[in-house]
Amino acid sequence: MPPAIETADLRKEYGDLRALDGLELTVEEGEFFGLLGPNGAGKTTFINVLVGLVRKTGGEARVFGNDVEADYRRVRDAIGLAPQEFNVDRFFPIREVLIHKAGYHGIPTDEAAERADEALKRVGIYDKREERFDWLSGGMKRRLLLARALVTDPDLLILDEPTAGVDVQLRRDLWELVTELNEEGTTVLLTTHYIEEAERLCDRVAIVNEGRKIAVATPEELKRRGTDTVSVALEPTPATAPALGPYAHGSALSGGRLDVRVDDGSRIAPQLLRDLEADGYEITDLEISRTSLEEVFVELTGRDDRTVTRSTAEERSNEESTAERGQPEGVV
Amino acid sequence: MWTVGSRALFRRELLRFLRRPKNTFMPPAITNVLYFAVFGVILGGRIDEIAGFEYILFILPGLIVLGTISNAFENASFSIFHGRWNEYIHETLTSPLSYAEMIAAYVGASAVRGLIVGLIIAAVGRLFVPISVANAAFLVATMVVIAALFAGLGIVGGLLARDFDDLTVMNQFVLRPLVFFGAVFYSLTILPTTWQYVSLLNPMVYMVDGVRYGLLGYSDFLELAPAAYAEIVPLASLAVLATLTALVVALDVYLFKIGFGLSD
Ligand SMILES: Nc1ncnc2c1ncn2[C@@H]1O[C@H](COP(=O)(O)OP(=O)(O)OP(=O)(O)O)[C@@H](O)[C@H]1O
Ligand SMILES: [Mg+2]
Repeated sequence: MPPAIETADLRKEYGDLRALDGLELTVEEGEFFGLLGPNGAGKTTFINVLVGLVRKTGGEARVFGNDVEADYRRVRDAIGLAPQEFNVDRFFPIREVLIHKAGYHGIPTDEAAERADEALKRVGIYDKREERFDWLSGGMKRRLLLARALVTDPDLLILDEPTAGVDVQLRRDLWELVTELNEEGTTVLLTTHYIEEAERLCDRVAIVNEGRKIAVATPEELKRRGTDTVSVALEPTPATAPALGPYAHGSALSGGRLDVRVDDGSRIAPQLLRDLEADGYEITDLEISRTSLEEVFVELTGRDDRTVTRSTAEERSNEESTAERGQPEGVV
Repeated sequence: MWTVGSRALFRRELLRFLRRPKNTFMPPAITNVLYFAVFGVILGGRIDEIAGFEYILFILPGLIVLGTISNAFENASFSIFHGRWNEYIHETLTSPLSYAEMIAAYVGASAVRGLIVGLIIAAVGRLFVPISVANAAFLVATMVVIAALFAGLGIVGGLLARDFDDLTVMNQFVLRPLVFFGAVFYSLTILPTTWQYVSLLNPMVYMVDGVRYGLLGYSDFLELAPAAYAEIVPLASLAVLATLTALVVALDVYLFKIGFGLSD
């Protein structure tokens, strides 16, 4: 089976601006895939290339093995898109909007009507079915975009910031719904600025910046790329931070504890303890705190912060052993 | 071409104007009552018959053409532009409809609106003067072709427009003058020879003449053309118009294919 999405050297230029700069991404069928990146990174542009709203300048893009230009009909038939911006037909009540959309996808009117009702119920705005789009609240508008994406029963569901400006309850509803869809076999591509959302939902995430891919990994793997903090309580309490080996990217004393920044807390901790004991300290407590995905994200996309540390961390995680994955974190 | 998908879009496009008759059908009805009242009844009483027809009857085909083509154009250009403006045309563009299917639906629905307006104008005319159709088949064919032609042009207009004013400009400053100098209100036979030739450059002349021929059985061209060609003149005009329509529709499909005004 070909991947759900496969792009190679994908480029899009707006004059001098490179919205996509050789983007290479593969999303496997059935995956829940997250696309993270700061504003203007090129996420929406990427999505629009797939559905034909943006013409690529160069490179290749395929959806389920079909070229987005040569086989545009098959590509568009497979995709259900809930876009970032509202783009809904304002002349008709929303139920009819969905019937029309299903119709464009070749679904006969009777069946289209059933599907429209089903989709509206699924996102919880069935009682608004005779309203026009303009009369819906912001959150309901978001729900409608999702319903419109679902009404054609897509194999690939693309959600471009579906939870922007949405209340907590709705966000949870949406999460539940898309998880359910993914479990039923729908491939999901999600962009979001809520890192927690990506972490909770996605099998893998890609971080893009300035039209380029910076990293692709599971949220777990990504977090491992960030620096961890090993925090130890020592007896006696040192007056100044003791000197440590090159594994320590920095250390600080706070509240009688020593915080040491290292690449991989669980791997470095034994060595750190040995060194401290050799210096004559007794370790009374130890905690390892992982970088949050958000911190990793900021670290990876922040322009001034491209340290050597990060690239070595990347290399390491590429060859990482599976034994390491199961290690407990937090209090040891 | 006429698949479930294109029928769905066609239906959507039809419903858009059918549900708001006050905006779409009332204005041409009222305007034409005024035309007939002023030109037909008030002025017409003082104007001699033209080519053996009461003036009111002579201008009827031209008014039908005017209403049909401007409504077909307006509907198509508005629908495309409004969809671009509010971006809901994405609903169509991101669907698996082929570009030809999209155009078939858009052109078809706008042509239907033009034809409905044509019928309304004929019905209004019927209130003022009895009408009997001379060449029904020819009339229908000509009407369908010109309605589709201007629906097709309307799509180009809707893709070119950058704001709503552009649409008004196209309608007021391009379409109307062509129609008014298109032999709606006079017969070419009354013009000096030079102006007769100049008039032949106006595509509108052929449409008005074709519809007049279909409705009244009278054609300026038949009068002006050498007797040897008389038989084929109306059909030749129709053939040229049909070819033009095919070209414009092909252009529409091409513009959609390259995403002109539609995709970045
Ligand atoms: N039509 C356009 N013309 C010119 N530049 C554009 C156009 N559309 C997008 N861009 C530029 O392309 C870049 C990528 O934009 P894009 O919308 O893909 O970003 P994004 O990752 O979706 O951002 P956000 O998180 O804010 O939605 C931006 O610099 C944007 O200004
Ligand atoms: Mg975006």
